[in-house]
Formats: sequence, structure tokens, C-alpha cells
Amino acid sequence: MANVAIPLELQLLQRESLASRWLRTHASTLRGLLSLVVVAVIWEIAGRTGRWPLILAPISDIWLRFVQLAASGELLRHILVSLNEFVVGFAIAAVFGIALGILIASSQAAKDFIDPWVSAVYATPTVALAPLFIFVFGIDAPSKMAVVFLLAVFPIVINTATGMSSTDQVYIEAARSFCASKRQIFTKVLIPSALPFIVAGLRLGIGRGLVGVVVGEFIGARAGLGYLIFKSSQGFQIDAMWVGVFLLAGTGVIAVSILQRVERRMAPWRQFELK
Amino acid sequence: MIYSQRGQRFVALRDVSLDIQSGEFISLVGASGCGKTTLLRIVDGLVTPTAGTVRVDGHVVTRPGPDRGFVFQQDALFPWRTVIDNIIFGLEVQGRAKRESRQRADALVRLVGLGGFEHHYPHELSGGMRQRANLARALTIDPDILLMDEPFAALDAQTREIMQSELLRIWRSNRKTVMFVTHQIDEAVYLADRVVVMTSRPGQIKAVLDVDIPRPRDLSVKRTPRFLDLVDAIWKMIEEEVKAALRVTDDDRQITSRPIATY
Repeated sequence: MANVAIPLELQLLQRESLASRWLRTHASTLRGLLSLVVVAVIWEIAGRTGRWPLILAPISDIWLRFVQLAASGELLRHILVSLNEFVVGFAIAAVFGIALGILIASSQAAKDFIDPWVSAVYATPTVALAPLFIFVFGIDAPSKMAVVFLLAVFPIVINTATGMSSTDQVYIEAARSFCASKRQIFTKVLIPSALPFIVAGLRLGIGRGLVGVVVGEFIGARAGLGYLIFKSSQGFQIDAMWVGVFLLAGTGVIAVSILQRVERRMAPWRQFELK
Repeated sequence: MIYSQRGQRFVALRDVSLDIQSGEFISLVGASGCGKTTLLRIVDGLVTPTAGTVRVDGHVVTRPGPDRGFVFQQDALFPWRTVIDNIIFGLEVQGRAKRESRQRADALVRLVGLGGFEHHYPHELSGGMRQRANLARALTIDPDILLMDEPFAALDAQTREIMQSELLRIWRSNRKTVMFVTHQIDEAVYLADRVVVMTSRPGQIKAVLDVDIPRPRDLSVKRTPRFLDLVDAIWKMIEEEVKAALRVTDDDRQITSRPIATY
């Protein structure tokens, strides 16, 4: 029986047309796209009815506004301002956060001193401090960088410290048996083993940092995507507001996917462990 | 050797005295928890004994040294390094020249039969291949003594037999001194010149048996009467120990039950 069944199955596979095979292999991408299209159509129709003018602008209007803002160069200015605030704030948070995490993991005394602050500040909604930052650092970029830093730094510190201290003892012992010095154990064992944790912390930091940019610009700014959103909603320009929101969403998606690529390059062994 | 664990101190090893000739293959067997691994770690210098000394060529061991290579029980390969980078680790840590290290590692890759897998990560290898890499990593620093802590324990029966004969092949070619800890009695007899049988906690040497089976040995040796006699004799000794250990823990329980009641 089996002898008969196998050729039959082969024939079926061969008969499957190229189009249906393409559909099968790209099924999940297609479903995702379909989902987006369906929502966009419903959105467009709901917007066109004009029943919720303060919430929904038709997608087509948002697109037209996007083109208009982009053509005038205004959009680029907002994007660059926000990008600058985010990148600088996040870079400082990454460097400082990783360093502090390493310090906490490598010295018990440092851990005892720093830990209560980290857990206390991490648990409070630090966004509440944003207005204070505007007073201290002014209305321009530095205050937003400070907000981004404050929001992004904690997941980075905590993940780095956790990653370093959860290094499997076996690896440390193996390195010791090869007469590795403390320094070598640190650079060749602890750091690489903590790397996936650190990258995960950076990813969390990106999400929180973007929130920081927007909140900071809501409270006080002269330009930026958060400022665009805030100003437009205040002036009932709902289409312009949505342009800002969509751009922020896009930025988040791009930033996270870049980091995922970095992670795959730097920690290729993780793909196996994560499964 | 006295250990503290959860506030309780116990003697892991007591009065262990053993002379090993250069180039000799020694197997250590004993019931689980008898301190075989501890003894090996003391010889490597990973832990310091509470009393007594280990001497290698007359020098007292205080910490790990390049004259001893340790092959770990489970997967101790660094998962973030490829096979070749794992094997190079020992030389890299010593600060040796890259090119020279690479040549040495390549030679070892071939010796342990991992050709073509140099750039694979440990997770991409089978258990047997990982232990080959583990062995190669210990051999790169060209130690005089190989300390092997149940290196084949996690492997399936067939792979283990293959690895045993591979290990003998490699040992024939470089004649390291080997201390091999295992709980497989047949493995111990098959590989070793002498088998050291240890008592249960505290670990002491119960007996040292000479394995007078001529070398080179192939796997058919495992069916000869002499081999089976040795395995049987060792098995009986360990069985006695396991029974004794069970009695001891029963006594312990009776003694400790009283203070617990006063809580």
C-alpha cells in the first residue's frame, strides 16, 4: 500500500501550480497585509461619514496632508528635531546604562548602594518628572534628551546587570580551568553571555525612549513630531495629528527591527536558545 | 576536604592518597556523591582543599595551570563561540600568537574528527560532537594531565562506545596522564590502567584495581571473562557502599529528628 501512496503524493505536489505555492509560502505575510488593508478601508469609510471629526480623518486626507507637509519641508524639520533628541538621549542611556549594569553586577558594594535607587525610580512613572526637565534644561532639545535618557536607562541597567549575574557558573569555571584572569573572564565570558540580555534591554529602552520624546515635546517644545501631534490636535487638525502618530509608529517599528538584526549578527547562538 | 552547604558542613573527602605515574590512565568510580568530581576539581586547582596537598611533578597545586586540562561533565563549551574559537580559547587566554594557535586548533579539530564543523556553533552539533570539541579544547593547551569529569555521561550508549574508543586512540597518540571520573563501571575498566574505587561520603579510596588487559583494546574486550570479572568485582564494592550510605542516612535521620522537634 505504501508503495502506491508515495508516488501519488509526489504527483499531487507536482501538480500544485506555482501561484498556489507562492500563496502557501507567503500566507502569513499576505494575511497581515490583508488585515492592514481591511482596517484602512473601514477607517476611510468611517472618516468619510464625518461623524467623528475630532477623532478620525479619512486615510486619504491623512495621506494628502502628509504629502503637503513633506513638500513644504516642515515634516522633515520635525522628524530631524525628534530624531536628534531621541538618538542623543538614547545613546547616552545605552552607554551609561550598560556601564552601570556592569558595575552593579561586578561589585556587591556597588549593587547595595545603587539597587534601592534603581528599583525605586524604575517603579515610579518618571514621565511625571518631564515638566521639571523643561524648567532645568530649557524648551529645546536637551530637556527632551534628558527625558529620553531617564526613561530608557532603567531597562538597560537592569537587563545588563541581570545578564551578567546570570552567567552559567560552568562557563566561568571552564575559563578558570584555562587559567583565564579575572579580566579575561569578564571580557570573554561575562560580557558575551550577557549580550543577548543587553540587547533585549536596549530594545525595551527604544520603546520607552520614544515615549519620552513625545511626552517631552507635549509639555514644551518648538518643533518635533510630538510637538506636531500636540499642536495639531489643539488646533483640531486631526489629519496632521495622525501624520505624526503614524510616523512615530513607523520609527518604532524600524528601530526595533534594526536592533533585531544587530542581535542576530552579534548573538547568532541565541536563535536556538530562544526557541 | 570539608564542604559547607546550606550551613551544614560535611566532609566530602578524607585521607585520599594516590600516586599516579606519568602517562597512566586512571579511572575513578564510586557511588554518586562520593566526591569523585571534588577530587578532580582539587587536582585542577578549581577548589582549594581544606587540608592536604596535590603535587604535580613535585610542585604543589594552588590554582589551575597550563599543565592540566579539564574536560567538563556537561556542555561547558561557550555557546557564543564557534567550535574553532572554543578550541582556541585556552591559547587565546595565554596570549599566544593567532596564527600559531589557529594551526594548533586545526590539528586538534582533525585529531578529534570534527573536520568541516569548525565554524559551527555548539548548538548545531550533536552531543557526541560537542564532547569531541570539549576534549579538543582541553588538549589545545597541550597539558600533561587530562582531568575528565564524566565527559560521556550525557551521551547515548552507541555514541559513548564510539567516544571511548576515540579517546583511547587519541590517548595512544599523545600519552597524556588521564584521570577519568565516571559512573559507568565498564567504561572505567575499558579505558584505564588502574581503576580507583571510592567509598561513599566521606570519600575515601576503597580499592585500586589493576586492569591487566593488554592494549590496544578494542570494544570486543568488553565481552572477555577477565573484563567481566573486573566489572563484577567493582560493582560489588560499589553496591556495598551504596547500601552502607543508605544505612548512614537512616541513622542521620534518627539523630537529627530530635533537634528538629525542639523548634
